[in-house]
Amino acid sequence: MAQFFTIALRNFLKGPTTDPYPFGETYTPENYRGIIAYSPELCIGCGTCEYVCPSGAIKLRHHESGMNFSYWLSTCCHCGNCGYYCPTDAVFNSNDFHTARAQSEKYDATINDDIASVQCSRCDAMIPRAVDALLARAYDEITDTVRHRASLCPDCRRLEQFERMYL
Amino acid sequence: MSETYRVPVGPIHIALEEPVYFKVKVHGESVEDVDILSGFVHRGMEALVLRRNFLQNMIITERTCSLCSNNHPFTYIMAVEKIAGVRIPPRAEYLRVIADEVKRAASHLFNVSMLAHLVGFHSLMTQTMETREVLQDVKESIWGNRMDLGANTIGGVKYDLDKEQIRYLIKQLNLIKKPIRELTNIYSNNRIVRARTEGVGLLPKEDAVRLGVVGPTARGSGVNNDIRAIYPYVVYDKLNFEVILEDGCDVRARALVRLREVFQAIDLVEQCLRGLPDGPVTTPGLPRIPEGEGVARTEAPRGELFFYVKSNGTDKPERMKWRVPTYLNWEALKVMMPGNKIADISVIFNSIDPCISCTER
Repeated sequence: MAQFFTIALRNFLKGPTTDPYPFGETYTPENYRGIIAYSPELCIGCGTCEYVCPSGAIKLRHHESGMNFSYWLSTCCHCGNCGYYCPTDAVFNSNDFHTARAQSEKYDATINDDIASVQCSRCDAMIPRAVDALLARAYDEITDTVRHRASLCPDCRRLEQFERMYL
Repeated sequence: MSETYRVPVGPIHIALEEPVYFKVKVHGESVEDVDILSGFVHRGMEALVLRRNFLQNMIITERTCSLCSNNHPFTYIMAVEKIAGVRIPPRAEYLRVIADEVKRAASHLFNVSMLAHLVGFHSLMTQTMETREVLQDVKESIWGNRMDLGANTIGGVKYDLDKEQIRYLIKQLNLIKKPIRELTNIYSNNRIVRARTEGVGLLPKEDAVRLGVVGPTARGSGVNNDIRAIYPYVVYDKLNFEVILEDGCDVRARALVRLREVFQAIDLVEQCLRGLPDGPVTTPGLPRIPEGEGVARTEAPRGELFFYVKSNGTDKPERMKWRVPTYLNWEALKVMMPGNKIADISVIFNSIDPCISCTER
C-alpha cells in the first residue's frame, strides 16, 4: 500500500490534471481531425472526396449551372480520407471539435456550396474550372499559355492545337 | 452447500465491458463449467465491406474495434498491397511500426487498468489511465484522433513526422517511463493485486498450445507465437527486440506480459525514430487493384490478426474475411474458469483482453 501512497501524495501536490473546459481553455492539437472545412473557390468538382468517403457524408450533384457540393456533419466519421485524397486541398479537416448540436439543429449542420462552371473562352460551352492548385500538379510552371489552354473547352482546345500545328 | 446450479452472467452485466453471455455452472461458489454465447453486437461488417471500394474500406476496417483500430486497416492494407504488388517506401515502413507500437502501448495500459478496476483497486486504475492519457495526447497531436489514427493508406502512410514532432514524441515517451515502472511494481508486488491474480485462471502450457491461443494470453503461458518475431512484417526483422514470455500461466503472468510489452513498444518506437530513413511516405498516385487473392497477418495487441482479401479487378473486394485474436482466446476460458470463484469470472475474462466487437464484427 505504501507504494501507492507516494503516488497519491504526489498527485495531491500536483493539483488537478483535467482542464476546466467549457469554463476555461482546453488543449486542441493543430492536427486534430474535426469538422470538415471546404473552400468552394479551390474545388474543381472531381468527385474524389465523394468516392473515398466511407460514410456517405459528401455528395456531389450536377445541375444546370454547374455542380453542388454537400456535406452533412451527422454522417461524417472524421476519418480525414476526403482531405487526404483531395487534389487541390479544397476540403480538409479543421481542428474544430464542437460537434454537439440540439436535436432541432440536427439537419442544419451542413455545408452546401455551388461549384460554378465557367464559360469556355472561345465558345459558349460551360466547363469545370481549372484552379491553380490543379495546374501546379500537372505543370512545373503555370505560364500564360497553360492558363489560356485551361480556359478552353476540350473541343476548342483540340481545334486550337490543330490550327497551331497545321494551319 | 453441495448443490450445483447455473448462473447467467450477461449479456448485459455490470462486470462486463461488452455484451457476451456466460452460462456458468457453479458448485457452491466454485465454477464447474462455462458456456459462452455471443452474437449480441454483430454489425455485418464482412458484408458491408463488399459494398464499399478499397479506399473506403481502409476506414471501415479501422472502425471494427477501437483499441486495436490501427491493426485492422494495417493488415487489410498489407493484404491489398500483396494483391497489387505494391512495395511501400522504407520511411513508410518505419512510420507504420511507430503508429502500431504507440497503439499497442495504449491498448495494454487500458487492459491492465481494467484489471485494477475489476480487482477493486480503483486508485490504481485511475493512475494507469492517467499515464495512458499521455499516449492519448500523443495520438491526438500527431495523428489527429485519440483512437482512430488513420495512419495507413494503400501504398504507404498518410502522415509524416517532422523534427518537432519527433522531439515531442520522444519527450512524451520519456515522460511515462517512470510512472509505468512504478505501476509495474505495484501490479507485480501489491498484496491486493497479487491475492486476486496469482494462481487465478490457470492456462497450462499444453492447453495453450492445444487451443492455439494467441498474443499475451499465450505468452503468459510461455508459448512464443509473436508474429513480429516468427513471421516478421514491415521492418520488425531489422529491429532488435526479445519476445516477452512469462511462465506463471495465470492472470498475473498475462498482466505482466502486457506491462513489459509497454516498455518493449516504447523501445521499438525509439529504435524506429533513430533509424528513420528519409524519403517519400507513399507511392505516387492512386493504387489499381488487379484480380487476385491476398492474405496478411500481424501481431495486434491481443494477438495474431489475419486478413484474407479477394478482388475481381473492380474497385470493390469480392470477399473479405478477418480472423481476430479474441476468437481463438475465448475458447481458453473453458480451461481457465473451472475451479475458480464466481467473483473471479470477470477478472479471468478480462485477462484474455476480450474484444467482442472485433470478434462479432
